[in-house]
Amino acid sequence: MKLRRLIFTMTMSILSMSIFAAQPNAPTKSIIPGNKPKELSLVRVNVTGQPYDYFKPWQKKAPFSKRGLGAVLQGGRVIVTADLVANQNYVELERAESGDKIGADVKVIDYEANLALLEPTDKKFLEGLSPLELAGDTAVGDRIAAWQLEPTGALVVTEGIVTTVQMMKYPVDLGQFLGYRISIPMQYRENSYTVPLVKNNKLAGLLLRFDPRTQVLDAIPAPIIAHFLKDAAKEHYAGFPSAGFSFFSTRDPQLRTFAGQTGKAAGVYVTAVEPHSPAEKAGLQAGDIVTSVGNNDVDQNGNYVDQFYGKLEFTNLLTSRAFSGDTVPLQIQRQGKPMTLSMTLEHRPAKDYVIPPYNIDQAPNYYILGGLILQELSRQYLKEWGPNWQKEAPQRFVYLDRYQSELYPEGNRRVVIMSQVLPANNTIGYDDLAYLTVKKVNGKEVKSLAEFAEAVKQPLEGGFIKIETEEDPKQIELEAASVADEAQALQENYGISSLQRLQ
Amino acid sequence: MKRVFLIMSAVVLLGSTSLFAQQAPRSMPGASASPAETAPGFPGALARQTPPQQQAPVVVPVPVMPARPNGPVQKSLVRITTTAVEPDYRAPWNAGMIARGVGAGFVIDGNRIMTNAHVVSNARFITVERDGDPNKYPATVQFIAHDCDLALLNVSSPNFFKNMIPLQFGGIPALESTVSAYGFPIGGERMSITTGIVSRIDFNLYAHSSIDSHLAIQISAQINPGNSGGPVMQDGKVVGVAFQGYSGDVAQGVAYMIPTPVIKRFLQDVSDGHYDKYVDLGLTYLKLLNPAQRHFLGLKDDDRGVLIETVVAAGPCNGQVKSGDVLLSIDNHPIASDATVELEGSRVDMPEVVERKFKGDKVKLDMLRDKQPVSVTIALDTIPPYMIQGHAYDVRPRYVVYGGLVFQPLDLEIMEAYQPSDLRLRHFFDYFVLEQIYVDHPEIIVLTNVLPDPINTYLSPYRGTIVDEVNGKKIKTLRDLADALAQPGDRLVLNMIGDGPPLVLDPKQVEAARERIKARYNVQAEQNLEEQSLRAQPKPSEPPTKP
Repeated sequence: MKLRRLIFTMTMSILSMSIFAAQPNAPTKSIIPGNKPKELSLVRVNVTGQPYDYFKPWQKKAPFSKRGLGAVLQGGRVIVTADLVANQNYVELERAESGDKIGADVKVIDYEANLALLEPTDKKFLEGLSPLELAGDTAVGDRIAAWQLEPTGALVVTEGIVTTVQMMKYPVDLGQFLGYRISIPMQYRENSYTVPLVKNNKLAGLLLRFDPRTQVLDAIPAPIIAHFLKDAAKEHYAGFPSAGFSFFSTRDPQLRTFAGQTGKAAGVYVTAVEPHSPAEKAGLQAGDIVTSVGNNDVDQNGNYVDQFYGKLEFTNLLTSRAFSGDTVPLQIQRQGKPMTLSMTLEHRPAKDYVIPPYNIDQAPNYYILGGLILQELSRQYLKEWGPNWQKEAPQRFVYLDRYQSELYPEGNRRVVIMSQVLPANNTIGYDDLAYLTVKKVNGKEVKSLAEFAEAVKQPLEGGFIKIETEEDPKQIELEAASVADEAQALQENYGISSLQRLQ
Repeated sequence: MKRVFLIMSAVVLLGSTSLFAQQAPRSMPGASASPAETAPGFPGALARQTPPQQQAPVVVPVPVMPARPNGPVQKSLVRITTTAVEPDYRAPWNAGMIARGVGAGFVIDGNRIMTNAHVVSNARFITVERDGDPNKYPATVQFIAHDCDLALLNVSSPNFFKNMIPLQFGGIPALESTVSAYGFPIGGERMSITTGIVSRIDFNLYAHSSIDSHLAIQISAQINPGNSGGPVMQDGKVVGVAFQGYSGDVAQGVAYMIPTPVIKRFLQDVSDGHYDKYVDLGLTYLKLLNPAQRHFLGLKDDDRGVLIETVVAAGPCNGQVKSGDVLLSIDNHPIASDATVELEGSRVDMPEVVERKFKGDKVKLDMLRDKQPVSVTIALDTIPPYMIQGHAYDVRPRYVVYGGLVFQPLDLEIMEAYQPSDLRLRHFFDYFVLEQIYVDHPEIIVLTNVLPDPINTYLSPYRGTIVDEVNGKKIKTLRDLADALAQPGDRLVLNMIGDGPPLVLDPKQVEAARERIKARYNVQAEQNLEEQSLRAQPKPSEPPTKP
């Protein structure tokens, strides 16, 4: 028996060794893994979180745990992705080599850039760890190392090559941000959630997503991290700015002629300008051709020549290069006439959208009326249908979300929906209704849940509450007195702590 | 999604695969009505032409049938072979794909053959065979009703009906009573009989059009591809026409027949020489079960009435019925709050009253509007906007090709041919009637494809967009578009619905590229604006048309 076990162990070690030898990208010599614990710049981050349940908005879902890595920065702070700490109840830092733990606070979080800054409750906790500086000079072809930790605390270093630098989608898919695409044969570790990417012992980026099949890793690059940190150092974190217009290539000579372009073919065709956006305030109009942004020439495909990365979409100049409040000159042609516009950039917060694109860490509004569940439509709600929500969620709602700026040009409102019906005495005959958009309550138009709650308080003659919906059945009636009578039973039956949350 | 199959055995002509090898196959999700694709649940269907060994058990010639309760049905049963051309909506100028299928039919009074519409849809050549006669007789479609999947065929040869016995129709068979289905399903060449019981009598979707629901009877008799159009008999009378079922991977032993009320309605409709289709009220309604809602509407606790939700503007009730009205009775039949009425002693869904009526027939509605009684009389009619959501048959696809840009009106065929993922297109299709989109856009003109050419190199991003205006003029129909594109001028500016850029064309360049594009993509005709019936009516002596 003993002998057998011995043989077994030996076979295993040989096996694993040969696997290591076969790795095409062995760790580089410049970084010696594991044996220099004093130079370790990583901490483990343990997160317990609880997202709100948008299908039962009065409660939170079951708690989950996530483990990730944080990169230690100057000033006793740790940077992680916002994904890691989204919906957190408790964040804990853990020293990899000793296992010591301490609670931490989320100081700044930006879901759009997917970054968060943590601070341990006692800054001494990070003593002995060498803070990372940012590597701002990464270019295509550079070798970048992904740092992970073994369960023992030893550093695992995997090297990859930056293949592309481009604008890419981030998790909340609001516009696009700069990103690195890296080809890297990374292996799974128990805490691969946030993986720091390092170049010459400087932080070059953080893992955004990784596809183990194609071994392609997308990273949040150092310039976005630097932007975030600089913004975070201010008294109020402003967030990444946006311009608020959409554009189209001017490759088509017919479109250029139509737009009246004179001179050389360049620039992008403005297809739409969001109401109240910085672009609209600057005077930009649909049909204009934008030829230069911040004194960088824009070509027909919308690219400018970046000093580090070469050709890159000009939106980079308006997001990662500029800050909210910055004024950027735009050279445009309007029916052939060159003009210069000056655009003062602003961040557009999620709550400024009619259908907010994300809503994390915040309790969703809801109102339960006799068993009818009323909510405000948000993409966070639609995302409850899972990663394939654009196909799975009620298609009418997905349509309203996608075309919200077209459908609600006036802005400054919410879309009140009746998401579900809890069967109760008051909702007999209504229990099959779901996914309706509410137009009016008691004859009054409602543009938010607060307005809904207000209108419900003034029943029609005879004590009726009448809800008018955009879709069939067009109208639903309840008796106010009977709704009030059943309220407590409804709460008890369905375990609803409160029948409304309005913020 | 349940998968309903149409039980017509079908084979694709071997030659057609190579002939049309360049065509992208149309994929048909859900209810498949293409005979070429009815086979999946029944791989054996393909074996009809060349049966492989293991599929061909020892065939024993069937002896002359002994007397059976339904009589000598083989003296009434007809085997129908059709050659159909399925239009190709991705290359609408082409004739399409040739497909062949086999179904059943039966002789009825007046030397006519009754079968399913889907057996003879898109048919270019039809032959019928009868028991004990080696000849194949060419047949033509006399009437076809795609909304209830029934058709009547004529055979010009006077010999055909000699010694054939026309079948008579019975009523609705009782639940649990035994019925027999006759047809030519896979497994052999000659007539097959299967028996089962009546399992359920209910409204059901007719998969052929995919939008019509009528009464259908579920039977437990095995019916398979090739049974389509065959009679289902009881006590020597036809009680239904076998027409659809579920493929084996969804549910087993669930088959449906068209019951005699639907058949009789069809025969009555065509008795004046043309088929006028089913009529509709164009209303959606809510069952009035909620006490508070009933009190609000001023109703008594008498379990009566339904609430009108939407009145379709293109329907016959427009202007006479309003959203929010309470419908209390239809033709003096009181409507219960669960939307049923009592008809001939049994409770049926309210639409059954309208189902039995014809175009132009009147129906009386008694309603409560703002608590006051109102009565209206409606002249029933069809509702054309619904048609785009159903399958189209026997018509050539409509389209315009201009500068290599292919424009087509949105309908179910386009949705299935291109499978667009675009949300806007899907919304316009799904809500065409419910949101009354047809009022502003009687036709939704989609730029479905771009045939690449130097003049349209940069236009592929516009694919899948909907034309809103051409040079400032609103485009409501395909003809509007064709007219606007033909207007003289230096420039064409097409505004598409939404925030996208305009699509700009130079008519002179388009004209210069015209012949080049036509030749390169073999576009025989640059437009087809009118709905043209494509049902071939060849004289019996004519050979089958081949492309």
